[in-house]
Amino acid sequence: MSSRKERSSRITEDEINDLILKLHPLLPDSSSRCNTKVSATKILKETCNYLKRLHKEVDDLSERLSQLLASGNVDEDTIRALLRR
Amino acid sequence: MKNPNYPLKKRLASRFLKALEKIKYNMSPSPVSIEEKRRRHRAVRGAAYASMASSVGPRRAWSRALLRKMRERKRARRNPRNADTRFGLNQLCDVVPGGEAMDSRSLLNETAHYIECLVAQVQIMREILHSSSSSSSTTL
Repeated sequence: MSSRKERSSRITEDEINDLILKLHPLLPDSSSRCNTKVSATKILKETCNYLKRLHKEVDDLSERLSQLLASGNVDEDTIRALLRR
Repeated sequence: MKNPNYPLKKRLASRFLKALEKIKYNMSPSPVSIEEKRRRHRAVRGAAYASMASSVGPRRAWSRALLRKMRERKRARRNPRNADTRFGLNQLCDVVPGGEAMDSRSLLNETAHYIECLVAQVQIMREILHSSSSSSSTTL
């Protein structure tokens, strides 16, 4: 094949669709829905929402953890136990 | 009658032909999708104006205007996804760190990994909270 296209690797619609479909099982509630029926657009939208939700969770959990640190209730045994798992 | 534009025409022709060669070289073999045909059309048209502007250079206002436009487009093209807004990934690139600079393929790959990492992080934070609050007796 003499075409330079292999090197420029312009992504195809099929490739994008495949990659988007791969995101689907990472989303919550993905197992309760028939996989073949979800559109790529919907997956993208839900992925965005999921990521925003995760960001908010990290935010909330950080708030609670920082309060916990202030109250001095995170002891080393707890942490060591968690790390051992 | 002597054509005073002959050197210009020669310059135009040589630049344009070189650009056409480049387009032809980068063409994919058949079958060619409609999108490809449209892209090729745009490329040839762009090459026409580009060779006009660069042949005349900054001597005229119209060529300066064209050269300015070409430079702006070149800068926009450096963003690897500006040329590739086909897939509505613009929302996603705002939520994934570094997304604005990624091409579509990278963005989707990175998203998958980022999600897994975030989920793990959230789990860890929850576990710490949970075990700390359950092991303490005098918290308030």
